[in-house]
Amino acid sequence: MIGMSKLVGLAEAAAMIPDGAVVAMGGNVMHRSPAALARALARRGARGLHFVKTAAAYDADLLCACGCLASVSAGYVGYESEFGLAPHYRKAVESGSVEAREHACYTIITALRAAIQGVSFLPVKGLEGSDLPAARGWKTVSDPYTGAVFVAIPAIRPDWAVIHVQEADRLGNGRILGPRYEDVLLAKASRNVILTAERVVDRLDCAIEAVDISGFMVSAVVAAPGGARPCSCAGRYGIDVPGTRSLVESPVGSAADAHLSLYARNDGGAL
Amino acid sequence: MSAWTASDIMALCLARLLRTGETVFHGVASPLPLVAILAAKRLSPPGPVYLNITGGVDASPRRLPKSTDDPELLAGSASLFGLADIFDLAARGGLDTAFIGAAQIDGSCRLNSSVIGPFDRPKVRLPGGAGSAVLVPNAKRTLVWRTKHDPRSFPARVDFVTSMGGIDRVVTPLCVFRNAGGRLVLESIHPGVGFDEVAAATGFPLAAISAPATPAPSAAEMAALAAVDPGRLRDIEFA
Repeated sequence: MIGMSKLVGLAEAAAMIPDGAVVAMGGNVMHRSPAALARALARRGARGLHFVKTAAAYDADLLCACGCLASVSAGYVGYESEFGLAPHYRKAVESGSVEAREHACYTIITALRAAIQGVSFLPVKGLEGSDLPAARGWKTVSDPYTGAVFVAIPAIRPDWAVIHVQEADRLGNGRILGPRYEDVLLAKASRNVILTAERVVDRLDCAIEAVDISGFMVSAVVAAPGGARPCSCAGRYGIDVPGTRSLVESPVGSAADAHLSLYARNDGGAL
Repeated sequence: MSAWTASDIMALCLARLLRTGETVFHGVASPLPLVAILAAKRLSPPGPVYLNITGGVDASPRRLPKSTDDPELLAGSASLFGLADIFDLAARGGLDTAFIGAAQIDGSCRLNSSVIGPFDRPKVRLPGGAGSAVLVPNAKRTLVWRTKHDPRSFPARVDFVTSMGGIDRVVTPLCVFRNAGGRLVLESIHPGVGFDEVAAATGFPLAAISAPATPAPSAAEMAALAAVDPGRLRDIEFA
């Protein structure tokens, strides 16, 4: 292996993300979210973060419960049928402490693609009749060739993407098993990437075509077995129902201390 | 007591609308569409081409997960076709059918999954429309389901238009609506439900004073539901 190891601890990685940063999180709803890193941000008392994801649940809800967020850009924030609405997100938005920057999931993808291509916006097809463009202040753009009108989605260039993978090497090459969701786009669109991994290895034991994240884009690698819990991690574990309940049923507006301590051992003894 | 439930007839109404060979997508929080797609594939094989958020193409899950973006929905898939691919497919006119849920549905075929009250300071912040604002206009047709049928869910006018456009049918525990020139009209009323009950549960006026009965579930349809959903995931939205 040529190059410097990027291996750091969970708290050290969370300290790299400054207050006020735009932070995109990988996974989807209750699957392969970087939950341990989200808890590490909550433990360090992060403030004013701008959260980005196509469809979020635990990570956004936890960070709302702990007062870490200023805004959430997402197409969906909720736990789906089993656990319902995200209570801490809901309360934070309804009280005005967090701004809900609602997107369609495709407009998050489009905003990330704009950042990937280094342009300030990209047109998107759809949204006809929706109140979202007006509510979000999205403008339109005319095709200079045909005159067709599209909504222009401003680029989202996250300062940090945090992605939980099953396997990474110390240089930050990462391998995702099962659904990728939008994680490869997140990695390419962001200025910096932190990988948390179920397993950190000397060398990924797979064909290079199976490597999803190129290490040169990655700033830090964290060995975090169980790092998606209570979300699932394909091939490793399913959704932790009692763990999810402990956040969902935490009193709304609480700092979720009991919930964070529940995962202290999982997160490497962090308090 | 009838031999079937509201979840059975809703899943079957959605399944009956699907055609072999068409591309069909469901997103997050979509247990009834998941069951409907698998039932349609079993009743009339090979059935539609089934796409979901995990990237699964015609996946054959060994058990039905409560979360409809669970990695299990990739099981048995021969290739990966992810969410961005699906949105792109819809944008270029290649997605035949999208299943979309909503908190509110009005008589002008408008859906709200965003807020109750003002957008910037909502009384209730809902989860958001996920892909609906682009899929409803871009897919060739949208099938909508809602397991609550009351005047709050079916108001005269939605609080916020998250999406509108290509809605084809709306399936509820009481009836099926279809889009007739931009207005929702009754297509059928489920067996055992009266017209007055539907009218009282609906916040917008119904154009007709009657509608035919939805065909009751057949033995073959009930057997297909039992085979694809033995654990009755289809009941979860009624809990």
